Amino acid sequence: MSYLNLKNIYKTFSSNVAVDDFSLDIAQGEFISFLGPSGCGKTTTLRMVAGFEYPTAGSIALLGNEITNLPPNKRNIGMVFQSYALFPNMTVAENIGFGLKVSNTNTIEIKARVTEALSLIHMQDLGGRYPGQLSGGQQQRVALARALAIKPKVLLLDEPLSALDAKIRLELRLEIRRIQKQLNMTTIYVTHDQEEALTLSDRIVVMNQGRVEQVDTPSRIYNYPSTEFVASFVGHINIFPVSVIDGGEGIVDLSGNKIRSRKHMQEGAIPVHMAVRPEELTPGHREGANNLTGNIHSVQYLGSVVRIQIDVSGNFLSMDLFNQRDLSIPMVGDRFDVNFSSDSCWLL
Amino acid sequence: MRKGKLNFWSFFWPILAMTYFFVPLYGTLDFSLRMKKGVISLLAYQTVLADPQFIESFQYSVVMGIVSVTLSILLFVPTVYWIYLKVPKARPFVEIVSILPFIIPTIVFVFGLIRTFSRPPFLLTLTPFKTDILMAAGYIILSMPYMFRAIDVGMRSIDVKTLTEAGQSLGANWLQILFTIIIPNLRIAILSGALIAFATVLGEMILGDFLVRPAFGAYLVLVGRSKAYEPAALSIISYALTWIMLGAIQVFAKGSSSQSQLLGRG
Amino acid sequence: MQQSVKNKSAIRWWFWLIRNPWLGLLPFFLFIIAFLILPSLNLFVGAFKDQQGQFTFANVGIIQNPYIQKSFRVSFQVSITTSIIGTLFGFLVAYAITLGNAPRWMRNILMSFSGLAANFGGVPLAFAYIATLGRTGFVTYLLKQVCFTNSKGQVCPFDLYQNGFNLYSMVGLVLAYTYFLLPLMVLTIAPAIEGMKKDWREACENLGGSTAQYWLYVGIPILWPSILASFILLFSSAFGAFATAQALTGGSIYLVPIVIGQQIRGDVMNNPNEGYALALLMVIVMGVAIALYTWLQKRTAKWVAL
Repeated sequence: MSYLNLKNIYKTFSSNVAVDDFSLDIAQGEFISFLGPSGCGKTTTLRMVAGFEYPTAGSIALLGNEITNLPPNKRNIGMVFQSYALFPNMTVAENIGFGLKVSNTNTIEIKARVTEALSLIHMQDLGGRYPGQLSGGQQQRVALARALAIKPKVLLLDEPLSALDAKIRLELRLEIRRIQKQLNMTTIYVTHDQEEALTLSDRIVVMNQGRVEQVDTPSRIYNYPSTEFVASFVGHINIFPVSVIDGGEGIVDLSGNKIRSRKHMQEGAIPVHMAVRPEELTPGHREGANNLTGNIHSVQYLGSVVRIQIDVSGNFLSMDLFNQRDLSIPMVGDRFDVNFSSDSCWLL
Repeated sequence: MRKGKLNFWSFFWPILAMTYFFVPLYGTLDFSLRMKKGVISLLAYQTVLADPQFIESFQYSVVMGIVSVTLSILLFVPTVYWIYLKVPKARPFVEIVSILPFIIPTIVFVFGLIRTFSRPPFLLTLTPFKTDILMAAGYIILSMPYMFRAIDVGMRSIDVKTLTEAGQSLGANWLQILFTIIIPNLRIAILSGALIAFATVLGEMILGDFLVRPAFGAYLVLVGRSKAYEPAALSIISYALTWIMLGAIQVFAKGSSSQSQLLGRG
Repeated sequence: MQQSVKNKSAIRWWFWLIRNPWLGLLPFFLFIIAFLILPSLNLFVGAFKDQQGQFTFANVGIIQNPYIQKSFRVSFQVSITTSIIGTLFGFLVAYAITLGNAPRWMRNILMSFSGLAANFGGVPLAFAYIATLGRTGFVTYLLKQVCFTNSKGQVCPFDLYQNGFNLYSMVGLVLAYTYFLLPLMVLTIAPAIEGMKKDWREACENLGGSTAQYWLYVGIPILWPSILASFILLFSSAFGAFATAQALTGGSIYLVPIVIGQQIRGDVMNNPNEGYALALLMVIVMGVAIALYTWLQKRTAKWVAL
């Protein structure tokens, strides 16, 4: 029996389908991310788990008990909002203790739990401050502590870092993961930032237009994307239309070049695209690999990486090279050979 | 989920409020049409519009309105511009000064005005013209909170300092900058301030009544003391005038963020 | 030659202004001093002079005059009653048209009508009420028609004037003042109610709070300063109103502004300096109210600036 179970969830708003047949089993202590572009239904799904929206069809069960139509204040599921949603009229400590206060917990216990929560987020000295006197990062940490203080069965985070500066975002990301591990808290994390999803999660649910595209571990999502959408949404990728020479062996034709790939993912489907990540390309010609030749179209410095675009008979192929001191960079217009192994490219 | 429970009250209070707003309005309209016994007629309106005193007082108030609004713009636009440009420190202080007419009730203000200027060394109440100077000054003061706020909001929405510096760097002098850059960008703010101020002048009764000038407000008081149906007609006319004025502000202010609301005055 | 000299002096004058930027505000301040500060000061200084021009605190003693005391009592009664009605009623209306489920068209009508009605004060408002609720008014007439016969003969339960109602009384004043105070409340409180984030409510529910607990611990505490500030604004608006009261009751109800009006016309207090003292007292009440208002506004601003 799974800890949290979502079964065949549908959600429509008037005539728009927001979530379309969403099913997922979550184990206790697991960190799940919902990843997708805005409007893909990830937040709606999260809000159905929280109880702010009710599914049009389908069911949600927590520890085997159905909670589909339970009001939010009876679910004991903690939530962290994108906008923090701290109560501006209460101090940090009062905010954290709020959930306990409304459930008539006694004052001594509230005090102890608040102190515990404050030390969890390393803000022991700021309990008397008002939210307005805190930075964005501190406010979101308080929101996290507030959601955890009620000892929820599940923790939900709705794009909690998107309103913060890049540096704070990195810092808080690690903190969220640390606390989650420390408490072994079953967590659902909604984000549109693939890097966040990849670094934090045990498993990622990639969503698009209300549908689940793929559910898998970060490394499998990145290395073995099952759909074109997942491949292009997570990380950078070269995708080209190809014509099939031998579907069974994974041999295709890319503008006159014969490419051998690892076998395509969907059994029985007819592959029409070839995909390869920029970092899988190597300069030069290599026997036994797939070889392509083209002209250098552009060279971009991205700091640690140099991205080179090669024009291979009208297909613009991106290649990432680590920016080492001794790296010799080709000039725009140069003739250039690249190769990649058949294992590193796949058909969609 | 909560919808069913809230629905009744969400309808009840707005409907009650609308009733409260519209019943006196409808009552007045109905009353104003019953001057001729037993039939609906526009007699009250005809009587009012044919009354030479009405025409005189209305003309007087319109002229006074135009004069004081013009003077008010000439005084406040350069002042607020200068504050934004050179003395931003003065803004909070000027803002407090500008709301003084809210703190000092109109009746007290008029009291002070009369006691100060009807005596030596000023003696501004001896001739009609001199009294009109005092009237205009009074109107400018009474409409100052609205005027200042409208211009202030407009000024805040454009980057005065950068625009001025851009103008200067292109070789424009200060008058050119004020008239070709700042004022055109403040058009809507100035216009809504002007309309609010104008409405204030038209509706103001205390100044005209106590300084004994033929202002529209004073005429209303006079009619109210002696007639029955004409006041209702006049009430509808003033209502329509206020409505036109506020409607004009909303039309002009469409798409701009300058707020255009008057505050309650009794 | 002449031209350049003129130019030179203009430039010199200009640089002098740039070096002393405060002087650019001179026209404004001269105007304000002449027509606002001087008249006000004149009253306030007069309040502390006796008839011979000597300094005295005696005039403030008018507060012991029963006639003056009564005027303040009536003014406070009318202003507070009508502000309370306006605040409560206005809040409920504003809530219904913002966070409540009132339809969009109701909101549009009420918001634009509030802008209109908040400015519809003074004499025309008094006329409107006389035409509606006066002895021969429209509503008075309609209600009078509702009659039925019982054992004691014909009974007309809604004959207002038979049942002791009088428009030219405090009740009438409260009804009329509410006409511009209610919309004033709607206009000032609606943005504050709309500023209540949906997330706060959801966060509260998520933490186990009920609707009642939301209002008790979050909603009302957050809105309270705004509500109080609006109340004060309504109060000062009512307290300073003169025209409506004068036109409606013909000065038969002794509000503070009415007494000041009589003092302007004919020195009813026999001592001009006592009149000044009365004006000063009125300004003090208004000043305290507005100071409170500003303070409360700052308090809310602290929260809103999240």
